[in-house]
Amino acid sequence: MDLTQAAGNPVYRFYKNPNVRFMFFGALLCLVPYLKDIGVFNAGMLITIGGAIIYSVAALGLNLLLGFAGLISLGVAGFVGLGAYATAYFTKDLGLAFWVAALGAIALATLIGLLVGLVSLRVSGLYLAIATLCVSEILLKTFESFDSITGGMTGKRAAYPTILGTTLTREGTYIMLVIVLVLLMMLTRNLVKGSFGRALHAMRGSEVAAQAMGVNLLKYRLLAFALSTAYAALAGALYVTFIRSSYPTTWTITLSLNILAVVVIGGFRSIYGTILGSFVAFIVPDLILKKLPVIGDVPGLAYIFNGVMIIIVIMFYPAGLIKLFSDARGLALRLVSGKARKAVN
Amino acid sequence: MADNLERAASLAISDLSIHFGGLKAVDNLSFTVYEKEIFGLIGPNGAGKTTVFNCITQFYKPNAGSVKFLANTGETVELVGRPVHTIIKLGLVRTFQNVEVIKELPLIDNVLIGAHTSFKASVFEQALTLPRARREERRFREKAMNALDILGISDRANMLAGGQPYGVLKRVELARAIVSDPKLIILDEPAAGLNESETETLSHTIKLLRDQIGCTILLVEHDMGLVMGICDRICAISFGKFLACGSPSEIQKNKLVQEAYLGEQQGGDD
Ligand SMILES: Nc1ncnc2c1ncn2[C@@H]1O[C@H](COP(=O)(O)OP(=O)(O)OP(=O)(O)O)[C@@H](O)[C@H]1O
Ligand SMILES: [Mg+2]
Repeated sequence: MDLTQAAGNPVYRFYKNPNVRFMFFGALLCLVPYLKDIGVFNAGMLITIGGAIIYSVAALGLNLLLGFAGLISLGVAGFVGLGAYATAYFTKDLGLAFWVAALGAIALATLIGLLVGLVSLRVSGLYLAIATLCVSEILLKTFESFDSITGGMTGKRAAYPTILGTTLTREGTYIMLVIVLVLLMMLTRNLVKGSFGRALHAMRGSEVAAQAMGVNLLKYRLLAFALSTAYAALAGALYVTFIRSSYPTTWTITLSLNILAVVVIGGFRSIYGTILGSFVAFIVPDLILKKLPVIGDVPGLAYIFNGVMIIIVIMFYPAGLIKLFSDARGLALRLVSGKARKAVN
Repeated sequence: MADNLERAASLAISDLSIHFGGLKAVDNLSFTVYEKEIFGLIGPNGAGKTTVFNCITQFYKPNAGSVKFLANTGETVELVGRPVHTIIKLGLVRTFQNVEVIKELPLIDNVLIGAHTSFKASVFEQALTLPRARREERRFREKAMNALDILGISDRANMLAGGQPYGVLKRVELARAIVSDPKLIILDEPAAGLNESETETLSHTIKLLRDQIGCTILLVEHDMGLVMGICDRICAISFGKFLACGSPSEIQKNKLVQEAYLGEQQGGDD
């Protein structure tokens, strides 16, 4: 096909539009509950896949922070937990609507995220990693001790969301997760393609150039932290309404490291990569490895798997697994054009 | 010299000093760059040239002295004490001795970073690609493309900066400086690492920036051919101290300058 001709073609432009592609991707994810209906999946698998979608939201936030701005955080789990507990408290105890509760939870977490952002102005690298880890641990202790709000070790319950007067089913809630993810993918893409994204790039690539070009490091560090915390808290809100409960044991460093693994495995600065990473890190161990003989019984299997994946990716695929797709496409194109050339000759 | 009196001072440095521990990197230095001038700052390795640039652009806070700049508002302002990121908004932009580009971004986006302060759309507007955000993005992308065109590398606009040859990256830095609509451009060794023909092109570009875009240029450069060829006036320093200031021929004849360069420039450029 003649490409110059194709570029002007409205069908081709529609197909190339990134937002259209995000929606198409979302539509595919929405098919999952129907696969369950025809017996390909069971209900447990729907929860696993929903979980991966939820953690992609948090991982998108971490990718903004780590991939784009070059700032590390090992405290993601704490903020997802905060979003979860706050949403549960706002809906169950205060009787607020789900979306109001979620917005409140996001606002609360973002405020704390901003404080951590202030810390990032003073410390960087390893020290920032430790500082964010400490914040997360403090949050975790809070979840354990504030029984009256968090339910302590017995956990906190929540319900499926009620939207416009109807309470969603599990499948309905799953569809809501997909819709939120797709919206966030669009939003994130817009953000990183604009001057905000370039400022983050500049901050990571060369702080001196960033400053000389007028990027206010204070402002953009705080923005990066605020945004990534907001994403984490949103993930928490989605989690608690989909899983319908929250326990302190979920929000430990293990989860933070798994979300970090998502970004590394999927690919820094890649939106689809983040989703792919989340599906690899959270679905493969549960739905595939656990079914294998012998290996399936190893305790902490997911953890080991993600660790091994990180090492493999860093060593052989530093751009992340998402690069596999473009590499495969490049290879396919070369094969096709090679064949075409032979045919002409 | 007479016509200098009629021109306004673009940048006036007076009694500038900075020391690192016991080392006086810049010692009581004064010089003035007039509008539309191409002004060279020269000196042997370690003389303190980059340090002077860092004091002007506020990466370093000088221990003493003042840096007055005729800003794009028409006012003359003191730069000392201002936050680094606010300097470019006044119309003063710089390049770096060791190129500072973002490897993971295409050349065009690297150049767009130079227009950062011109973007008015909020993060919110950008996230939703509201009309103003879209308009700005389109407008400045075009402007960045023009800048790449001026430097003759627009054909590489969409290639990643990582892996581009050094000469191209030097030009990207220059393009990035241009899109900020500067009144004064400070160039730290723009010809370092360039071959002869690239240096030739560079000197044309610098003249073009002055003559057609109307910028004042202050540059540090070791390539004496380039410096003597394009500078209207030159200031020479050594060990952070002022040696001489004048036209290229005056500087070449100056005994102090010759002494400072003795041993360094033997058999070098004339
Ligand atoms: N941040 C700093 N801390 C300590 N010493 C510094 C610092 N910056 C510069 N110096 C010292 O100040 C002196 C002047 O350095 P500067 O980089 O300004 O020289 P230069 O004239 O640009 O040299 P070159 O031509 O090699 O680029 C050197 O002795 C350098 O080691
Ligand atoms: Mg230098």
